[in-house]
Amino acid sequence: MEEIAYIVHPLVVSLAGALLGALFFAYVRWQTQIGGLYTSIIVGAIAGVAGATLLTAPLAYCMFRSDQNSEDIIVGWIMVILGLMLTLNIGSTFLWRFFRGQRLLPRGDFTPGAFRGRFRFLYAGAVLSPTILVLIFFVYLPMFDTLRFSTFLARFGAPRTRFICVSNFSRMLGDLDYQSNIFLSFALAFGIIIIAMSLALLIATMLNQPIRGANLYRTLLIWPYAISPVVTGSIFGLMFGTESGIVNRVLDLLFDVKVPWLVTIPAAQFSVVLASVWNVIGFNILFYTAGLQTIPKDLLESASIDGASAWQRFARITFPLLSPFTFFLIVTNTIYAFFDTFGLIFVLTRGGPTESTFTAMYRVYVTGILASDIGKSTAQSLILFLIVVGITIFQFRVGQRRVQYGNY
Amino acid sequence: MKRTLLFVLLLVAITVGATAPSFAQEPIELEVWVVFSDHRLDWAVDAGDRFSALYPEYKVTMVSVGDYGTIITNYTLAREEGNYPEILQVVDFALQFAVDTGWFAYAEDIIDGREEVLGQRVDFDDIIPVIADYYTVDGVWAGVAWNTSTPIMYYNVDLLAQAGIEELPRTWADILAACEALQPLVDDGTISACASWPFVSWFIEQWVAQQNEYMVNNENGRAGRATESTLDTDAFRAVAEFYRELYSKGYFIYEGKGLWGPPIQNFASGKVAIHMSSSAGARSTSESAAAAGFTLGTTGMAYNQDAPGGWTGNILGGATMWVSNGLAPEVEEAAMAFLLWFSNTENSASWHTASGYVPVRNSSIELLQNLEPGNKLLWDIPSKSLVDIETDDWYAAFPNYLTASTQLGETTVNNATRGSIYGTFQQSKDIYNGLVEEYMLNGGDLDAMIEETDAQLTELLQEYNFLFAGE
Repeated sequence: MEEIAYIVHPLVVSLAGALLGALFFAYVRWQTQIGGLYTSIIVGAIAGVAGATLLTAPLAYCMFRSDQNSEDIIVGWIMVILGLMLTLNIGSTFLWRFFRGQRLLPRGDFTPGAFRGRFRFLYAGAVLSPTILVLIFFVYLPMFDTLRFSTFLARFGAPRTRFICVSNFSRMLGDLDYQSNIFLSFALAFGIIIIAMSLALLIATMLNQPIRGANLYRTLLIWPYAISPVVTGSIFGLMFGTESGIVNRVLDLLFDVKVPWLVTIPAAQFSVVLASVWNVIGFNILFYTAGLQTIPKDLLESASIDGASAWQRFARITFPLLSPFTFFLIVTNTIYAFFDTFGLIFVLTRGGPTESTFTAMYRVYVTGILASDIGKSTAQSLILFLIVVGITIFQFRVGQRRVQYGNY
Repeated sequence: MKRTLLFVLLLVAITVGATAPSFAQEPIELEVWVVFSDHRLDWAVDAGDRFSALYPEYKVTMVSVGDYGTIITNYTLAREEGNYPEILQVVDFALQFAVDTGWFAYAEDIIDGREEVLGQRVDFDDIIPVIADYYTVDGVWAGVAWNTSTPIMYYNVDLLAQAGIEELPRTWADILAACEALQPLVDDGTISACASWPFVSWFIEQWVAQQNEYMVNNENGRAGRATESTLDTDAFRAVAEFYRELYSKGYFIYEGKGLWGPPIQNFASGKVAIHMSSSAGARSTSESAAAAGFTLGTTGMAYNQDAPGGWTGNILGGATMWVSNGLAPEVEEAAMAFLLWFSNTENSASWHTASGYVPVRNSSIELLQNLEPGNKLLWDIPSKSLVDIETDDWYAAFPNYLTASTQLGETTVNNATRGSIYGTFQQSKDIYNGLVEEYMLNGGDLDAMIEETDAQLTELLQEYNFLFAGE
């Protein structure tokens, strides 16, 4: 059998994982002063080995072989870190439960309505199976395929594929075009979220006033959300065309100027943000309106009696009490901005001019569907997925501390 | 009791009624996927119906599937599911893919030397040589030509006359000169700019071919499988420079990469004097010019007067109809008979008048020049039916329809004007179109941009070649 040469031997990877896990757990033990030090270190080392091998072992540590380039090795270490983040998190949860004498797995809830008797798992399984089958065939298996394809050079209709380890990922490290797509996605998402949320809050606050026909306004304002991003793109495309668009028609009549909305930078990016904001704002208004109605009137009244100004009432009472809604909307708007704007961009600018509205999601489409290059496209979609998951976790970590789920 | 009996009888009647037709001869279904969704789809649906009426044992169903790229993707997925149409419209840039997958039965193989299939004449020699040549793969006639087009210039003759231009521009230099002459009309607000046309990669390929140059190695992939992108030519650079000059002087309204609608609208509404588009737009552009009340003039696609060999010719565009392989023999026969009928003398002539796509048969052109009363060929868009043409020479009455055929007729057929054939054609189109876009809008180091793009396209092509051909 041929000896496989490694630049970084798998044993070194495992040892590094063990060391990092042990150090991390020892550090946490030292910080919290709960539980035994040796137990922590041993569990940490085990979790560390598991983390280091979780993503690398299924690929037979191919990214650390001597025939790979340095980018592949960097990707390999990133995979080690991602695996560690997962296993150390799970490991620590169980370990602290163990130290505190809690059950490792939360006890099943056998309150009324739960299945009982000897065959309860059978019954439950039978009832759940349609959902589980749908999930398996439409979510988990495609996801597994995505993972698998991301390590291949593959095209639709091709008679053969080639295993290329993590090259689909490592090529992105040096791909400035792709990195600018990612950066652009962040920038557009930031713009969309800030504008769509603050504008929605303003409109919802105004809608919450006792005005005549509030219901009608509410319905009309929520309307845009019922329109798909593709249709939104078509509408804005018609409005913002350089020569034939109604917007330039009006601008031309009033100020004698024509703005090339969709074909110059930064006007095209602005148009995309504007169209996205218009599309998503109805959803935000809906939730903020609902949120505003949960805020007790007596609280605002008493503040008012105590001499708080309208701004103070908003800043000190309304806005903090709305925080669960704000938090929820930030998460959903992030997902909208990264994924759903694709349809709109596809119709409105096709990523142009000169790739200035070419988001990461649009890249996935162009690579995967237009070019049938499934290997690269699945790798890009996984990166995008990781980014959005990362942002969401970050938002939960940062957000939850500030969110007040009130018992008011 | 009576009610129960009635109910049972009713049930029996329904059951018999539902199953009865299966005893009769079911027509053989022929599903045809096409990309059109406008009056061109109406024409195709009508043609399918006419064939089904002619041959009651067959039923032709036209299905409109997205655009040229989507139709290939969808067919690929349908293929993997094992439920695919009998006939697919395959565009030029998917030729290599269609060949490499082995998913299609070549027309010439199905015909197998016969003079007719189910009563439909083959008459291969009648097909205009340049068209037959383009769709010949590995020496075999692969797909049946249907919608064949080529880019032509469209001019607003009235605006040109206002600027004192008598002769329609023919070269890039002519266009730049005309734009300079038209500038006063732009300044006084009569028009928005000199020119507007779709910024599509097809025109880049055409312009490179006109200058007798290749896009990929091995003579455009026609002399052997292409392995490298070869944009590093004076011809390609000249195209980029021409666009840069047009745009930076403010002569050209840029409406976005790959978009056909807005530039066509700009010309149709009289906002620009010069337009370039597919000859397939001849019908609709003629109608919108008539509606807007201006005189339409057409010439062949403008060319680079400084190219060493002058104008070599233009590439065919459009698509052909391919028969899926693995069909039952009688279905394959039916599909072939349909395609032969679909592209026969009358139908090819009718299709030309309905759209502007060039007739694919010499006999169709003859027919159009010697029309007899009662020869219903013209597709009337509002009424969606064939009507009589009130002339005995179509081209004399509508000279703009001849421009495309003339351009193809004068083309020197070689491996430059046959156009490139390679697996990543579709993917590459968008990338080199982006290069020219970038240079047109922002300028920069053209040589460096070309070098980088060539490297990128070559890598993709070599990956494709490995996956499909193991090379």
